Amino acid sequence: MNIRLARIEDLQGMQACNLHNLPENYTMKYYLYHAMTWPSLSYVAEDHKGRIVGYILAKMEETEESQDGSPPSEPPHGHVTSISVLRPYRRLGLAKKLMLQSQEAMATNYNAAYVSLHVRKSNRAALSLYRDTLGFTVKSIEEKYYADGEDAYAMQLTFP
Amino acid sequence: MLVSANSTLGTYPACPPKSWHKKERKLFSELLQAYEQKQLSKGRKIADQILKKQPQHGETMCMKGLVMVHLGEREAGISLIKDGMRKDLQSHICWHVWALVQKGEHNYEEALKSYTMALKIDKDNFNIIRETSILQTHTRQFDVLLESRIHMLRLRPYSRVHWVGVALAYKLVGNTAEARRYLDHMEGFLRNVPPRDIEYGELVFFHVRVLEELGEFQEALTLLDKKAKDRMLVDRPAIAECRGEEEWTEAAEQSWTELIDQNPDNQDYYKGFLANAGIDLDSLTDESRTKALGILEEFSSRHPKTNTYRRLALKIAEGDKFKELVKPYIERALEKGIPSIFSDVKNLYTDPTKLQSIQDIVEDIRLSVSPKDQAQPSTSGDPTYYLWTLYFLAQHYSSLGRYEKALEILHSAMEHTPTLPELYMTKARVLKRAGDPYGAVRAMEEARKLDGQDRYVNTKSGKYRLRAGMINEADEVLTLFTKKGVPANIDLLDMQALHYLTEVGDAHRRLKGYPLALKTYYAIQKLFHNFREEQYDFHLYSLRRSMLGSYVAMLGWEDDLHSHPAYIHAAVWTARIWILLYDDPSIIKSLHPPGNASSQKGESRHRFLRFRVYHITIRFIVRAKQNEDKGLEAPPGKDDDPEGLKLVSADDPLEQASKVLGSLGELGKDNIEVNATMFDVAIRQKKYLKATRELRRAHARDPHHPEVHVRIVQLARTVASVSDVPEPVKSVLEASVAELKPAEVSLEVFNSQYLQRHSLSASGILASAKVSQMLDTPREEVENLLFTTLTDGVQLRLEDALEILSYLSTIQSPRADEFRIACDARFTLSKVFKGDEEQAVLRRQCIDPRDESEVETVF
Repeated sequence: MNIRLARIEDLQGMQACNLHNLPENYTMKYYLYHAMTWPSLSYVAEDHKGRIVGYILAKMEETEESQDGSPPSEPPHGHVTSISVLRPYRRLGLAKKLMLQSQEAMATNYNAAYVSLHVRKSNRAALSLYRDTLGFTVKSIEEKYYADGEDAYAMQLTFP
Repeated sequence: MLVSANSTLGTYPACPPKSWHKKERKLFSELLQAYEQKQLSKGRKIADQILKKQPQHGETMCMKGLVMVHLGEREAGISLIKDGMRKDLQSHICWHVWALVQKGEHNYEEALKSYTMALKIDKDNFNIIRETSILQTHTRQFDVLLESRIHMLRLRPYSRVHWVGVALAYKLVGNTAEARRYLDHMEGFLRNVPPRDIEYGELVFFHVRVLEELGEFQEALTLLDKKAKDRMLVDRPAIAECRGEEEWTEAAEQSWTELIDQNPDNQDYYKGFLANAGIDLDSLTDESRTKALGILEEFSSRHPKTNTYRRLALKIAEGDKFKELVKPYIERALEKGIPSIFSDVKNLYTDPTKLQSIQDIVEDIRLSVSPKDQAQPSTSGDPTYYLWTLYFLAQHYSSLGRYEKALEILHSAMEHTPTLPELYMTKARVLKRAGDPYGAVRAMEEARKLDGQDRYVNTKSGKYRLRAGMINEADEVLTLFTKKGVPANIDLLDMQALHYLTEVGDAHRRLKGYPLALKTYYAIQKLFHNFREEQYDFHLYSLRRSMLGSYVAMLGWEDDLHSHPAYIHAAVWTARIWILLYDDPSIIKSLHPPGNASSQKGESRHRFLRFRVYHITIRFIVRAKQNEDKGLEAPPGKDDDPEGLKLVSADDPLEQASKVLGSLGELGKDNIEVNATMFDVAIRQKKYLKATRELRRAHARDPHHPEVHVRIVQLARTVASVSDVPEPVKSVLEASVAELKPAEVSLEVFNSQYLQRHSLSASGILASAKVSQMLDTPREEVENLLFTTLTDGVQLRLEDALEILSYLSTIQSPRADEFRIACDARFTLSKVFKGDEEQAVLRRQCIDPRDESEVETVF
């Protein structure tokens, strides 16, 4: 598997991968918005034929710029909009590799202090990946975060 | 956030006539202000106040109309705007209002014309020029875009963004040298940029790429180094990639090493490293092969956990070296239970010796780890090792077409571990390939039941149902993961699920449900249209942020969308269905059976999909809209043809087909299927030159292609028989035919030569049979020829057999059933050669309706 920065031509493959894996889906414009705004944060995993088998779609959280020029209250931080790997390509550690590439870019390019993400309370596999493999911690529970009424864990990982 | 597409008129100088009272003039500027602040009801009141005194004032009428459109009174508003424009064609406000309405209808060409009119009246109006420049970019009129950008820079020379705008416009018209001049100039005057400024960094990367494009590598490198040293550039991989590509030295090697350390899973970095060491992977010698393998091996101490360079080595290595490398590679993966190991190595199978080596190795593993005694667990270690070995071998034999063997292995794996969904998914795939779509549905269903929480298995389950012609049943299973409260097909359309729509279109088509097949294929084309629309907001957004690299890439991507395989597939099938309806208008009549629609075969079982025809909701843009503001977007059109019956009744099917094919991108036109379909349309339209051109294109790609052979004869016969073609054209046609088929060779001989050459290929035989039929050969002979595909030595794939069967029924052959039965016996696992009734039973049986209730909310 090849892991590299996502390009514009990958967005449709990322969208298809997302639709195959996850119940939270987005139109192309949202993918474009990420690619046009934070071109260094999203990565893909591709197979030998160049098919996208995994991706991370990531962004920076907008920090409100204060009017008087004083530094913003919140430090800049990254946010993982969506990450997934097609079922046949699991157990290769692709999610971890994708995540690490994106985190590195968040820290070096945007000076991000930490990265955040949301995960469904019921999604134990993902929770364990983020917590046990990647070192995220649960910061809070966001009630009814998902359209179907399920709660989300808001998780964070502080960069060294 | 994204800027709203709606621009405002508020910055315009109000210019009501001098004869007006001061009070009315004040009112008019309040009206503009109210609109800008989207105080719509207030704006409307003010407009009414003015119109009471000045009922003929065009600009006020237009403004009131615009407000009304926002308030949801679209038709009345637009009609008022038109009245207003008639009163005052000299007002830039009127033209601007009209442009906004046109834009809301996505009629960009017209909007651009209106802005151009507005500019004629008010030539330095910055807002209008800016809007114009966006539309010029969107419609790819780069020459005039450049003029607009230069105009903007002249009006506002102190702002960086307008310099960037001109540089970008020069880049887009292809004048890279001039783009560079502007970028260099900017470099000279930009002051006080803070370090680590991402937007400035993006501009520098753009500048570097422009220099590269001009061949100024040294300058590019100098700029890159300077900016990196000043900490203006922080994107380390991007810097190193630029460097690695440009240098050819130790420094470049350093860059590639850095990149590999940062991301050891990127193949391109190893390729870059090797290229820098003078190794061309596309033409390896014994010497460079050894050298490459040596280099790759060195990475194993640096990145022991990465497989990427090991995999690359497998591609490079040959013979014993290959065996030595591939054995631990596969063993390790099977031991760890990595499901993708087969698809990982499969692409090495293009080399038959590598295929054999892998088969031998994995068969050896099977022997060594298989439990000697069913009661005794294996002594060689983990039982999952055995399981994944079987899983590998099943896929291996399936890929070689040895379906029985694959199934046998899968069944012993299932006995070993009955709960692994992968085994059932693979079984489904094997059955699908072997021609049993119904058994495939059942196997996939078993997989799904083992992991109801997994959307991937669910998606596959839906896909397999569609392949088996079970459209409603597919939606029933897919709905477990789609948005609640709307039908699955609507949510999947809203979410732009191309894979789903393609399968739905194909499913309807295979069931001869042409109206809905067409409708679905058009929905796919519409999706691509929406992808094109989605770039609109970025024209301004990306320029403001100087994010030019990804933006320019996006423009190119947008331009190539109509060459996307899913678009080509949809377009070609759309055209083919139109041709079918043209050739046999009775199909349409049969779609309107008087009264007893439910008795119709195939269609009767489907709930008709209702596709939203026009606009697709874009969910993520949360426009802070007051409730009363309905925006300027034209609302989605109502679907008054949910079953596609009006659609298929179009009286110009060939025109429709021609239009669809004409929309294909350049890459799409370099495709034999496309060329052949274009030929089919053109020859029916009696556009012989066009037909000839398409056929020659296809011929140039593959002169022996069966589709090409049939059409050469078709064209030759047509050209020989037409009488209504003027002389110079006729000579051109005859000359072209002579190039495709030697003039001294008769069509019969031409065909038998073709048959001789392709007598062992079923698709070649079919092409030759079609030609014989065209040349009025007795049907018995054509049939005999087609039956030779069943003889030993002829390569007959399942798809070929289905095509031949379908052709036999097209020529109403009495031997069609005989052929079907022979195929049924030959393709032992297949069910697609069973009789219609038997297949209907199989279809009904493959999902047990009693199980349907058990999976409700899974997420």
